[in-house]
Amino acid sequence: MSFLPFGGGGNASSQQINQQNIAMVEQEYEAVTETFYRIVGTCFKKCIPPKYIEGELNKGESVCIDRCFSKYIEVTTKIGEALAKKGQEAGKSGFGV
Amino acid sequence: MRDFMKFYSNLVDRCYNDCINDFTSKTLTTKEETCIQRCTDKFLKHNERVGQRFAEYNQGVAAQAQSAQTGSGGWFGGGR
Repeated sequence: MSFLPFGGGGNASSQQINQQNIAMVEQEYEAVTETFYRIVGTCFKKCIPPKYIEGELNKGESVCIDRCFSKYIEVTTKIGEALAKKGQEAGKSGFGV
Repeated sequence: MRDFMKFYSNLVDRCYNDCINDFTSKTLTTKEETCIQRCTDKFLKHNERVGQRFAEYNQGVAAQAQSAQTGSGGWFGGGR
């Protein structure tokens, strides 16, 4: 789980930290796997023509997959930022999405 | 296990929809079987490739988070 940016630290009891961390890690894990499967599904649909002349990924398909992945991440980030901004603007009174 | 089932049903669904369109017989034709075989191979390789990109991306995010030492970073949050 090295990619999860929850460096420990803080003054709460260690038990509290553990429980909080476990919940956070679980949530993060869910979100990450969900995103992963979404990307696999979406990019397969977009990049692999349903003809199946061969079982290998050809060059064009491979390039398409890489780009599809990058764009998916970019879109996820962009929309996340837009939502966060909206949330901050509309925010103080309540999150109106 | 749940993840595996998700993956498995996703794969079956996709390859079934792409390969099986003829219902004049009850069993798979050779053509359909070949199609399913290739579709499965392709899907597995596709999955593997996305997994590699995913790992690379996560490494990048981890490195960023480490050098910044702040942010909630990661997936959906945070400015960067």
